[in-house]
Amino acid sequence: MPVMAIPLELRIDSLSKTYPNGVQALRDVSLTIPTGMFGLLGPNGAGKSTLMRTIATLQEADSGSIVLDSLGGLGGMDVLRQKDDVRRVLGYLPQEFGVYPRVTAEGLLEHFAVLRGIADRRLRKDTVAALLQRVNLYDVRKQKLGTFSGGMRQRFGIAQALLGNPQLIIVDEPTAGLDPGERVRFHNLLAEIGENVIVILSTHIVEDVSDLCSRMAIISHGRVLAEGEPSQRIANVEGKIWRRVIDKGELPLLQNGHAVISTRLTAGKTVVHVFSEERPAGFEAVHPSLEDVYFSTLHIAEAA
Amino acid sequence: MLRAIAGFELKYQVRSPLFAILFVILFGLTFALITGDPVDELGASSVKWNSPYVVMICLLLMSLFGTLTTAAFVVHSIHRDFELNTDSLFFSRPVAKWQYMGGRFLGSFLAGMLIFAGVCLATVLGSFAPWIPKEHLGPIELFPYLYSIAILVLPNLLFAGALFFAIAALTRSLMATYASIVGTVVLYGVANSLAEGMDTQAWAAMLDPFGVRAAMLATRYWTVFEKNTQVIPLEGLFLWNRVVWVGVAIACLAFAYVKFSFSIIGKGRGKGRGKGRAARKPIDAAPAHAAVPLPRIRPSFSSAAQFAAIVKLEALGTLKSIPFMIMLVGGIALVVGNTFDGDWLGASYPVTREMVDVIRSAFAVFALLIAAFYAGDIVWRERTLRLHEVSDAMPVPTWLQWTAKFTSLLLVVLSTVVLAILTTIAVQAIDGYDHFEFALYAKSILVLLGTRLALIAGLAFLMQIFFNHKLAGLIGTSVYFMLNLLLPAMGLERLFYRFASTPPYAYSDMNGYGHFVAPLFWTTLYWILFVALLFAVGHLFWVRGTETGLRQRLRSARGRLAKPAATAIVALAAGFTATGGYIYYNTDVLNTYQSTGELETRAAETEKKYKKYQYTPQPKIVAVKANVDIHPERRAVFIDGSYLVINKTGVPVRDVLVNWTWRKLTSFEMSIPNAKIAFDDPGLGYRLYTLAEPLRPGASLTIGFRTAYESKGFVDGRSNTNVVANGTFLNNRDYFPHLGYNSRDELEEERAKHGLPPLERQKPPNDPRGRAENTFARGSDWLSLDTTVSTSADQIAVAPGDLQRAWTANGRRYFHYKTNTPIKGVWSYLSARYAVRRDRWRDVAIEIYYHPEHAYNVDRMVFAIKKSLDYFTANFSPYQHRQVRILEFPGYATFAQSFPNTIPYSETLGFVADLHGSLDYVFYATAHEVAHQWWGHQISPANVQGATMLNESMAQYSALMVLDKEFDRPTMRRYLRWELDRYLAGRGKEILREMPLMLVERQDYVHYNKGALAMYALREAIGEERVNRALARFLKDYAFSGPPYRAAVDLVHYLRAEARPEEQELITDLFERITLYDNQTREATVTRRADGKYVVKLTVASAKLRSDGLGEPKPVPNNDLIRIAVLGEGGKELFVEKRRMTKPVETLEIVVGGKPVCAGIDPYHELIDAHPDDNAKSL
Repeated sequence: MPVMAIPLELRIDSLSKTYPNGVQALRDVSLTIPTGMFGLLGPNGAGKSTLMRTIATLQEADSGSIVLDSLGGLGGMDVLRQKDDVRRVLGYLPQEFGVYPRVTAEGLLEHFAVLRGIADRRLRKDTVAALLQRVNLYDVRKQKLGTFSGGMRQRFGIAQALLGNPQLIIVDEPTAGLDPGERVRFHNLLAEIGENVIVILSTHIVEDVSDLCSRMAIISHGRVLAEGEPSQRIANVEGKIWRRVIDKGELPLLQNGHAVISTRLTAGKTVVHVFSEERPAGFEAVHPSLEDVYFSTLHIAEAA
Repeated sequence: MLRAIAGFELKYQVRSPLFAILFVILFGLTFALITGDPVDELGASSVKWNSPYVVMICLLLMSLFGTLTTAAFVVHSIHRDFELNTDSLFFSRPVAKWQYMGGRFLGSFLAGMLIFAGVCLATVLGSFAPWIPKEHLGPIELFPYLYSIAILVLPNLLFAGALFFAIAALTRSLMATYASIVGTVVLYGVANSLAEGMDTQAWAAMLDPFGVRAAMLATRYWTVFEKNTQVIPLEGLFLWNRVVWVGVAIACLAFAYVKFSFSIIGKGRGKGRGKGRAARKPIDAAPAHAAVPLPRIRPSFSSAAQFAAIVKLEALGTLKSIPFMIMLVGGIALVVGNTFDGDWLGASYPVTREMVDVIRSAFAVFALLIAAFYAGDIVWRERTLRLHEVSDAMPVPTWLQWTAKFTSLLLVVLSTVVLAILTTIAVQAIDGYDHFEFALYAKSILVLLGTRLALIAGLAFLMQIFFNHKLAGLIGTSVYFMLNLLLPAMGLERLFYRFASTPPYAYSDMNGYGHFVAPLFWTTLYWILFVALLFAVGHLFWVRGTETGLRQRLRSARGRLAKPAATAIVALAAGFTATGGYIYYNTDVLNTYQSTGELETRAAETEKKYKKYQYTPQPKIVAVKANVDIHPERRAVFIDGSYLVINKTGVPVRDVLVNWTWRKLTSFEMSIPNAKIAFDDPGLGYRLYTLAEPLRPGASLTIGFRTAYESKGFVDGRSNTNVVANGTFLNNRDYFPHLGYNSRDELEEERAKHGLPPLERQKPPNDPRGRAENTFARGSDWLSLDTTVSTSADQIAVAPGDLQRAWTANGRRYFHYKTNTPIKGVWSYLSARYAVRRDRWRDVAIEIYYHPEHAYNVDRMVFAIKKSLDYFTANFSPYQHRQVRILEFPGYATFAQSFPNTIPYSETLGFVADLHGSLDYVFYATAHEVAHQWWGHQISPANVQGATMLNESMAQYSALMVLDKEFDRPTMRRYLRWELDRYLAGRGKEILREMPLMLVERQDYVHYNKGALAMYALREAIGEERVNRALARFLKDYAFSGPPYRAAVDLVHYLRAEARPEEQELITDLFERITLYDNQTREATVTRRADGKYVVKLTVASAKLRSDGLGEPKPVPNNDLIRIAVLGEGGKELFVEKRRMTKPVETLEIVVGGKPVCAGIDPYHELIDAHPDDNAKSL
């Protein structure tokens, strides 16, 4: 069962989940995720982590299904019910995690390697060494994890998620807390891996998705608001995004009559983007970025 | 500002759930302590349960708990800001350091005091509990409470709070603080057990920051009266202890204040700072090693490898953690400390059995604590580190997660136990003892203790699984521990519901584990199956992932209930039930079970039904013939015998009441010619025969009987240890029938509860009924014994009397014994695979029967017997038998006893005593037991007050006289000092009233300890020759006589006859009253004169006190001669004089030739002194 025929796809169908305290984290979420990098974009509290954890076999859903299957095939693995099988092909990097402070990086990674099924000693050592080199932790492999900075810990996290050639990799808010250089390296690493496996990247940083992902979805308040390829979604709002430089005091007035989707400060001046089918007075056209797609989608959903 | 901070702190702490939990727990504990007969723990029933003494002890003990709770609050108050990262918020505020620290400390300390208010409340409420018998309560006074809180509790809480506050504030590390708390607790326990020797008491008292030792020392000799009325005076050692440690507390706070700084230190990398900080390489976008490809893996999910990896990580992680190492060090120190735990009399050889005992008692608690604590740690490790999402997503089967964790817990516990074993082996080796008996270590510790620890570790682990909350799981485990202690007290004693319990068992070098193996095996299996069953269910509820709600867990439990899990549950449940059934068959079908309550009821019933026959005329036994067949391998004994009885009363006897020990005998038959059974009460062991023809005075009758004990299966409770595979020791009291009413088994306590009148006290010395019977065997006076005892072919069986013949028949050995002189109606049989040491003293054969491996002190025993026979035959009277036999029996009981010419000695007493460098306890005990052949077997005391003075005190005196010939004065003084200590300590534990020596009513501390002191003092005063002359005449006149029997008052007459008129008052003081002195040296100085002599200036005080039964002393005129002495090096007497202390205080100037070392009044403690330590002062 462990190695599946490629290419793969993950089919999420009408997934819903309400927590015991009444919060409805997922409402009827349906997504189809093929191999490659898939970006799940949404604000804090949107339900991203809930979805990630459910796919990663750590949580139950109230209704719906998740199936991991070969493209177009029927059957495959029922992620919700065949947890043990899923874990064998899964690599998971949670949003927050700790480490054993007094164990070395190499030591803990080897321990995880055993748990991930790499029983052969020789092979295990090679894999661990290669992974540590990949995430540039090889030189500090003998140091205790308690001494690692946040970025180094994150790199360790991705190393353990890559153990054992997983075919389904879930990364939950991986670049929060990384400095710009570390972010770039992280993206490069993911890009290499994401060719023949499913990588689901959940984040609230739009650049992560625009830089890396071939497909994306926008989720808010537990609902999928949009799904598709980034370039396509950008094309969708082409010609509907407008820009204007204003003084701060003019903002409330502007918000009354326009769909202001973002405001930004540049050199002391306020730059606003609005969403409109036609050009509003005083605005200039601008090529939309993914950010504009994101903000406009959210704005529309909010207004509804 | 200070008030604001303190107020906020107090409110914050009081609102936390921990506060409520601790309040409830401490309240409950105190309440249980106060209402659960606290005095029993303190060892006396006359002390009122709410007396100042008891109040003080309770509050003091609870303050020890209080130090921990206060520490928790105080540490939390200062550490909270570091932990929650609010320190930067507070430290940048305009708050002065003293306000911040003072406020935090004050607030949290007050929270701790509030918890203690709960303790006080419980103490007070406890005395109102309706189930406490009224006679145990005294008047309720407020002062003792306030005093104890102010003097004992407050300083203790202050010290603990200040110390840990300082540590927490300055180290800013919870780990370091926690380690220091554990370390302090451990050190305290270790120091406590090491400070047991008498010489270091004063130091130990000062070094105890909680004042427990100082308090105990101050009240050691308090009588019942003092305990009921006094609080500990704030003086001397006690005062200094309190002052010093309060001072230390203030110093801690001051130090913390000075050193604390409002600065933020970088956190999280604390350990790595300064050394090998993670090198940050310059980041480049294209890493040099990016091109290394990842090897393609063919995953092979080896459960074994995963299991090993998890076990290794968890076990090593625990073994290397600091709290663990501290707990372990503490446990090891405790073990080592306890191996030195001989008492004042000396230690025994470090035989493995003793080492095993030390581990089981001292170390087991640590192992349990480690198991309980680390169960939580191990189960919660990933979630505490927030690694659980990663590890739960790993392809590790759920069952493997918890089995690997539990295995590592077991490994941790096992390794601590192995370390304890290695420690004791090291102790043995260092002591030069090399008979390690590894098999015994393995069986006793690894298997027996190990399984018990594993079961409890399993319980702690299961608590964590089911509660899914680290603190709740710990509390659950603690509740188990408490229940374990409380259930028997509530009358619930069956092993079936007391977790991890087995029937009591003991190991003996002679008998090994003997018949305990079967019950141990089955009950252990029972509990293992139970725990396994719980684990099988626990597996369903094991939390994996991030869903922790109860509904979700139930859902996933249902999901996990697949075929293998369900089969396991069913199979284990079946096995558990079946094992339980088999055990029940043994304990309740093959045998019967009686609870303690049931036994009490039967004893009460016996008394109610049959006490009325106590003085009904009965015939007395004059001759016994018996065939006793012992079958050691199957633990059975069959007795077939007859009594020749004579009617010694003046009236015809028609009814013969017979009794036997129903608890021990499995069958009983009797035949009396021409008699009918009027009633038969086998449940209580009584039967009444009516003779067809009444027995005329002087006429005789032969009664035949058969009794037997046969072991079947095993029992829930104490099993029969009289008849065992090697080391059988049974006496006639339990295995032979008796005539008349047996008053020895009457209830001593709880009489009112069963509707019985108070216990009859011993009769006054001249009561004719009392004089008509002897204290030991009322159914006979002096009798002759003709007995044949058989046993298996490889054992020797011994009974009193001369050995007439020994032969082998049918694969068994037979021994025929016959007594040569009349004996008292108590005798015993022993059988074992003995080695025998034979010697002679004139025409008396000396025979020591011992376990072949216990030859250490056999020579000493022979020597002691010879010396004793020398002295006693020369000074008292001839020895009446032709042998003196000492026999070893298994350590199921620890005593030595004198039967006619047979002296059984427990293996734990004397046979393995290590006599190097300590008081020769073997010599003393042997002389004492041999002396009983005179005092007890030639003289049989009447059943009146003072009976035990006639045998025990005289045996003490005789032994001391034999010792006196062998040892020097300083050694004798040590013996006497020990006797004095025991006497004074015993007074405070009196149950009813203390009696003067001549009228003693079986009070140990009077007839053993005071008896020794009194007789020795008499000998010092009137001389050994005259004392012995009195005793010899007494023996000549009364040996083997009776009824009527002799009492102590008679002996005192003989002593008075030998004493001069001026010595009569002394005899009155020693024997007829409770007299104490208070001799004290107030000042002693020495100056050297020009001519080389020394002038000693001595101020001494002397008072004489007479005491009533509860210890209330009254001064009386003091006309006695008291010795004043100045001693030089090595105890050399430089000046000795007996003076009458006519003035209460006197100052003397004494000139001596040599350098004086110490001086004092009654320095040898010849007089019983209420405060013995102030008699002399060193110069």
